[in-house]
Amino acid sequence: MPVIPVAGSEEFANRPVSPAETRRAVSDAVRLHDVDAAAVEAVDPLTYEVIRHRLTSITEEMGEALKRMSGSVVVTDCNDFDAAIMDEVGEVVQVGLYNTQLAASLDMAVNWTLRNRCRRPGIGPGDMFLCNDPWVGGGLHQNDVSLFAPLFVDGEIFCWTGAVAHQVDLGGVSPGSWSVAGTDVFWESTPIPPVKIVEGGEIRDDIEDVYLRRSRVPRLVALDLRAKIGANNVAHERLRALCQKYGAATVKAVMRRTMDDAEARLRAKLRELPDGSWSSVAHQDSARAGDREIYKIVLNLTKTGDRLTFDFTGTDPQVDGLINCTYTGLRGGIMPVVLTMLCGDIPWAPGGIARCLDIVSEPGTINNCTFPAGIGKASVASAWATTNVTTECLAGLLDSHPEHRQRLMSACCGTWDFALLAGVDQRGGGFVTMLCDSMAGGLGARADSDGVDTGGLAVIPMGRVADVEMNEFAFPMLYLWRREEPDSGGAGRFRGGVGASSCFIPYDSPVGGVHLVVSAPGKALPLAPGVSGGLPAGTQYDVLLRSTAIRDALAQGRIPTSLDEVGGERELVPVHLETGMGPDDVYYTHWQGGGGYGDPLLRDPAAVAADVAAHKVSRRGAEEVYGVAFDEHGHVVEAATRDRRAALRRRRAGLENEEVPA
Amino acid sequence: MTVHIDDNLEQRPDGAVACRHCGTAVGVAAEPLRDALVRERDPQDAGPSVRAEPAHFTDRRVVLRLTFCRGCLTQLQAEIVPADEPSFRTRNLAVGR
Amino acid sequence: MAHVIGIDIGGTFTDAFAADETGRVAGVKTPSTPPDFSQGFLAVLDELAAALETDTRSLLADTDYIVHGTTSTLNALVTGDVATVGFLTTRGHADSISIMNLEGRYAGLGADEVQDMVRTNKPAALVPPQLIREIDERVDHKGAVVVPLDEEGARRAVRELVDAGAQAIAVSLLWSFRNPAHEQRVGEIIAEEAAGLYVALSSDVSPRIREYARSATTIMNTQVGPRLRDYLQPLEAELRARGFSGSLLVMQGSGGCVDSGAAPARAITTIGSVLTGGVVGCMRLAGELGHRNVISTDMGGTTFLAGLVVDGEPVSTTSTVLNQYQLSVPMVDVHTIGAGGGAIAWLDAGHNLRVGPRSAGARPGPACYGEGGTEPTVTDVDLLLGIINPDNFLGGRKKLSRELAEEAVRTHIAEPLGMSMDDAAAAVYAIQNAQTADLVRKVVVTSGQDPRDFVLYAFGGAAPMHCASYAADLEIGEVVVPLGPTAAVFSAYGLAASDIVLTAELSSPTNFPPPPETFNAAFGQLRRELDAQLSEQGLKFASVGYRNEADIRYTMQLAEVETPVPSEELDEAGLETVGAAFGELYERLYGKGAGFSEAGLQLITYRTRAVGGLSIRPRLAEVPPAEGDPRPTSSRRVFLDPRHGWQDAAIYDYRDLAAGHELKGPAVVEAPTTTVALPEGCVGRVDHLGNLVIRYTQA
Repeated sequence: MPVIPVAGSEEFANRPVSPAETRRAVSDAVRLHDVDAAAVEAVDPLTYEVIRHRLTSITEEMGEALKRMSGSVVVTDCNDFDAAIMDEVGEVVQVGLYNTQLAASLDMAVNWTLRNRCRRPGIGPGDMFLCNDPWVGGGLHQNDVSLFAPLFVDGEIFCWTGAVAHQVDLGGVSPGSWSVAGTDVFWESTPIPPVKIVEGGEIRDDIEDVYLRRSRVPRLVALDLRAKIGANNVAHERLRALCQKYGAATVKAVMRRTMDDAEARLRAKLRELPDGSWSSVAHQDSARAGDREIYKIVLNLTKTGDRLTFDFTGTDPQVDGLINCTYTGLRGGIMPVVLTMLCGDIPWAPGGIARCLDIVSEPGTINNCTFPAGIGKASVASAWATTNVTTECLAGLLDSHPEHRQRLMSACCGTWDFALLAGVDQRGGGFVTMLCDSMAGGLGARADSDGVDTGGLAVIPMGRVADVEMNEFAFPMLYLWRREEPDSGGAGRFRGGVGASSCFIPYDSPVGGVHLVVSAPGKALPLAPGVSGGLPAGTQYDVLLRSTAIRDALAQGRIPTSLDEVGGERELVPVHLETGMGPDDVYYTHWQGGGGYGDPLLRDPAAVAADVAAHKVSRRGAEEVYGVAFDEHGHVVEAATRDRRAALRRRRAGLENEEVPA
Repeated sequence: MTVHIDDNLEQRPDGAVACRHCGTAVGVAAEPLRDALVRERDPQDAGPSVRAEPAHFTDRRVVLRLTFCRGCLTQLQAEIVPADEPSFRTRNLAVGR
Repeated sequence: MAHVIGIDIGGTFTDAFAADETGRVAGVKTPSTPPDFSQGFLAVLDELAAALETDTRSLLADTDYIVHGTTSTLNALVTGDVATVGFLTTRGHADSISIMNLEGRYAGLGADEVQDMVRTNKPAALVPPQLIREIDERVDHKGAVVVPLDEEGARRAVRELVDAGAQAIAVSLLWSFRNPAHEQRVGEIIAEEAAGLYVALSSDVSPRIREYARSATTIMNTQVGPRLRDYLQPLEAELRARGFSGSLLVMQGSGGCVDSGAAPARAITTIGSVLTGGVVGCMRLAGELGHRNVISTDMGGTTFLAGLVVDGEPVSTTSTVLNQYQLSVPMVDVHTIGAGGGAIAWLDAGHNLRVGPRSAGARPGPACYGEGGTEPTVTDVDLLLGIINPDNFLGGRKKLSRELAEEAVRTHIAEPLGMSMDDAAAAVYAIQNAQTADLVRKVVVTSGQDPRDFVLYAFGGAAPMHCASYAADLEIGEVVVPLGPTAAVFSAYGLAASDIVLTAELSSPTNFPPPPETFNAAFGQLRRELDAQLSEQGLKFASVGYRNEADIRYTMQLAEVETPVPSEELDEAGLETVGAAFGELYERLYGKGAGFSEAGLQLITYRTRAVGGLSIRPRLAEVPPAEGDPRPTSSRRVFLDPRHGWQDAAIYDYRDLAAGHELKGPAVVEAPTTTVALPEGCVGRVDHLGNLVIRYTQA
C-alpha cells in the first residue's frame, strides 16, 4: 500500500533552527540565559581551560552513570547510548564518546521542545522531557529514547543536559520493535514526541505508564528511564556547582567558546584541504521481508574553502518497509564520521562543528523520509548507509592531503547484523534481546595501515560485545563458536579489518526453542566499499540449519567447526526474516568487515603470509586475490609471487584468459 | 603543482590525471578515470569474501566493476553494484588546473 | 630485637624501611638495578643496616619478615620480556583473546586517544596463532558437561605446544569456574606430558565469569609466573645464605602480601605491587592519626596516582586494564590520573593552553633539569613560581636551571599567548591543580563517595607543592603531608606495615536471593579454600579476619556492586538484609531514586578476603614537642594562588620544626624529599609524628 500523507504530521517534521529563531519563538514564555560576544572574548586562557576540562569530565560522569545504571545489554555491554551537554537553545557543547549518532540529534529535540512546549505545559526547574520521535529529534528510530532536562540558574534556562539510549523493545508487531514485515510506521512502536515525564523532580506516573505500557519488557525500560534521570541529575549537580563557583556568565562564555573553537579549528583544517567534489553511492538490499530490491543513497560532497556541502540529490524515494530514516537520521549519519575522520584532534562540540556543514536533501527520500514511512530500523539502515557514503567521500577528500590522509578510514562494517531473540529464558522468565555480537565489525583500512580486526563500528568509538559466557548466562543459548572470519576484510594494499561470526543453538529454554527476528542486509552485495582501488569488505552471510543432529554430536564429544560438520537442512537466510528456532536448529550469523585501501596486488607479501597464519585471510584468498605463492611450509616464494601477480594483473583486467601459475 | 588524488592517481598542473605508478594518463580533473580501462565481472570473482551469489537475494544483476590503469593495470577503483546503475563514484579536484 | 623490613623496588629507586618493636625506624634509598633487581635489593639492605648502626648479617638474623614490593612482573608485561606461553581453550573460542570484546581497541586509553578513533589499534596478540590449540570439551552455564573432554586430543595439543616452543601453558576453558573438572584434568595431562612445566588454570587464577578477561588474566599470569619464580628462588636463597631465617613475603596488588613460595602461582596478583604501597602506607598512618576516610595522592616526577581508604580499608577493584587487555584481578584501586611534575604545558591547534596528559617523563624530563627537555612542564612552573628552591631540589641532589625553565615557558606559552611570564606560569599551575581536582573528584565520586568526607594525604616529590590548592577545590578541610621518618620511603613503610591478604572468589551467577543453603555453602567453600591457603603460608598470625562480599546487580546490568555480607551463616531474612544493603549502596553510588528493585537482582560472584595480621607492626616514634615559635630560614617571592598573586612567603626548613609548630600561609616548607606550599588562608601544624597537617582557616 502506498504511503498516504498524514495531515497534522508536519508539525513534527523538525529541522535545525538558529538560536535567534528559537529565542523569537520562545519569546517571554520562559527566560533563556545568554552572554554577549564580549564576555566570550574576555575569558582568559586559565579560566577557559579549567572550565572546559570540567565540562568534559561532567559529560564523562554522565556516560559513566548511565552505563552503570542501565539494565539493557545494548547499553551496558555494547555502549549503544550517549550523553551530551547543550547550551540554553540546545546547541551541543560536549558529546560523549559512545554512540555519536544519537547525540547528533539531541539539539533538534531540545530545540523543538523549547518552541513547542514552553507555554503548555511549560518548562520549569526539575522538569525532564522524554522523546523517541525521530521526526522531532533525539534519536534515529523509536528504540532510541532520549531524556533531556533544562538546568535553571536564577530563574533562567542556563543549559540542557541529555541522555539517550537504545531500549530493547517498545512495542510494535515484532519483538524488538523492528517489524520486518512492516510497510509503514504504524507497524512499529508509535513515536512519542517530547513529553514532560519528570515534573519538578518527580516522575509522573501517568506519563510513565503510557510509555511503559507499549513495551514487552517494561521493567527493563523503567530501569533505564531511571538511569537516564540519574545521569541528568549527576550533571545538574555538577553544573550548578560550577556556576556557583565561576558565575553562570563565565561558564556560558566557555561553552560558547568551546563551540567556536571547534568550528574555527575545523574551518582551519578544511582550508588546508584542496577544494573539489567527491561523489559516491551507498546501497541497501531489501526494505522489508520478501522485498528483493536494491536501494541507493547518492552523495556529492563539495568542499569549498572552509565549508562542506553534503548534497544527496539522486537518492531513492522513501520505500514501504522499515529502512527509511528521517532528517535526524540523515544528520546522525553524517556527524559520526565528521567527528572521527575530521575531528579526531578537535574538541567534539557538534554545535560548533555543524556550522561548517550544509545539507542538501529532498524530503520524501529514503534518508529524509516523511511521516508515516517505516523507520523502525532507521539508525542502522538508511542512517548507516548515509554514514557509509559519507565515509567514502570524506576518505577521498582526506586522501588528497599528505598529512590529513592519516586520519582516513575506508567504510567500516557496512551494516548492522540484527538478530533478535525472544522467548522464555532458562529461569522461566520472558526475555527479548538483541544479539550484539556484531558490534565487533571490522574497521576500514587506513591509508598507511590495516583496519582493526573486529575493531567495532564507525559510529561508536567505544563499542563493546558481551562475553559468550555472559550471553549464555543471560539467555537460553549455547555457542558452538564465535570467531573472526577470514577474507571478510576488504582486500587491499592495506586490508580492511575482518568481521566475525557466531554460531549457536537454543539451549535450556523450558519451551525448547526461541523466536528469531533477522534484519541484516549486505547479502546481495557488500555494503562497505574500498578506497583507492581497494576491494569492498565481504558480504553478510546468515544460515539457519534446521533439524540437525547437533545434540548427538555434542554428546558424542564432537564440536563442529563448520556448517558442513553441523549438517541438517540448510536455509540461506534472506535479509529480513521472522521465524522460530527449534531445539535442533542452529543459527549461524556472519557479519562484515571493513573496506580495503589500495590495489591488493601491491600488498606486502609478508603481510599476506602473516594474515594467513593468523586466519585473517584464507590460503585461497591469499593466492587468488593477493597473488601470493607459498611453499609447503607456508613461506612466501618471491619469484613465483612475482609471476603470479603479473598474470593476475592481466587476467583480472580481462586482457587474456591466461593460466595463472600455481 | 602536481597533487596526489589518492594512492594511485595524481593530478598535474594542466589538469591531466595520471597513474602514479607508471605515469600513464587516465583522465582529466573533471573525469579522473575517463580513459581508464573498465571491466565488469561476476561479484564472486572478487574472491572468497563474497559468500553467496547475489541471485539468492535480488532479482537485479549485480556486478564487480573494476577500473584499471591502461599502462600498468593497477586497480584504480573497485565496486560491487547493480549492473544497471552507472558508477556514481567520481571526484573533481579544483587544484592543479 | 625483631624487625620487619619493607623493600619497594620501583623503576628508578629501591626504597627500604625497617622498624622494630620499640619504635626505632630507618628508611634508606638506593638506585634500582634493572634488569637484575635483586642486586639493588641486597644493596639497600646493606644501607639499611648501616642506618641502624649494625651489619647486614645481624640485621637479617634479627628480622622476622621482609615484605617485598616489586615492579618486575609489571615491567615484564609492559616490555614483553615474558615466557613463551602456549594456550589451550575450548573449541570454537580461541579468537576470544583477539576479538577482545572489541574494547581492546581503546581500553585503558585516555579520552584524547579514544576520540582519535581512526588511529586506535588493538595491541599485539597475547599468544601467536601457532601456540594456540582448541580442544573438544564443553561445560554449560550450570556447570553441566555438554561435551566430554577429549583427553587424547588434549594430550596431542599439549605435545604440539611443547614442540612449538611453549615454556609454560595457560588453560582457560568456558565455564571452568562453574565446573573445573576439565581444566584440572588437562592440568594433569600437561604434568604427564611435560613434567615441571609451569601451568596455570583459569579456574585457579581467576575463577570468575567473562571468559575474555579470565583467559587474558590466566595467560598473563603464565607469562610472568616462571620469571617471578626464577627471580624469587635465588633471592631467597641468597638471603638465607646471609643469615635470614624469617619469611620473605611478596606484596600483591590487593594491598596485602603472600609468602614468596606461593607468589609465582598467582604471579599476576603482584602487578599492582608497587602501586599499592602508598595506599597501604596511608591506611596505616591514617590508623595512627585516627582518620577513617583518606584520599591518597602521590605525585612524583612522572606519574600522579590516586587511591582511597574508606572506613579504614583501601578501596579495591575487581578488574584492571594492562596493555589494553582486561584483567580480572582483585586489587587496590590505584588510578593513574596524570603525568606528575613532568606533565607538559602546550598550546593546542586552537591556541588554547593545555597541561598534560603528555609527559616529559624521566628523560629528558623538565626543561629545568638541563637534560635536553625544551618543553615547559609543571616542575618548571613550580620553580618559576618560587615554590621549588633550585638549590635544594631533592635535598640539593639535583641543581635546577631557572633560565631553561623561563626559556621554555616564554617560547611555548607566554609569547604565543601574549601573556607575561608570571601570568603564564601561574596559569599552568592553576590549570594543573584544577585538573587534578577534576580527576581526583571522579575517582571519589565513581566509588560512591563525597570528597568532603575525606582527609587528603599528599606525598611523593611533587604532591605537597600542589595539594593545598586541589584540596581546596575539592572542598576538603584537612590535608596531611607525611613528613616523619617515613616520608622519603613512604611506600616501603606501607609494605612493612602490611598484612597477609588472600582473596578467594567463586562466580556462580544466579537470581538473587538464592536459597540460603546455596549461599552459605558458597561462602563455606571459600572459607575452606582460604584456610588451606593461610596454613600453606607457614606463618604465625597475630590475628585472622574474614570479610565476605557478593557482587550483586540489577538484572542484566554490566557492573556489579560489591556488597558486604556478614560472615555468619544467613537465613532468608539475612539474605534480605544483604539485598537491602545492595540497594542502599546502589543509591549512594548513583543517587536517590536510581534503584529499581522491580527489575530483580542477580548475584554474580561470591568473594572472601582473609587477612592475617603479622606479629610485628611497625610503630612510629613521636617527635619532640616544640619550644617557642618556628623560625623561618628566609623569605622569597612566591605565587601560590591566582587570587593573591605574588606574595612574600616565609621559608622554613623542615628540620627546624617540632611537634606543635604552626605555620601560616603564605609559606613554603623545604623538606629533604619534597617542598610543601602553604597558600594564604591556610595553616600548617606539625603533629606529634612529625607530619604537616594543613587546614584552611578561610576559603
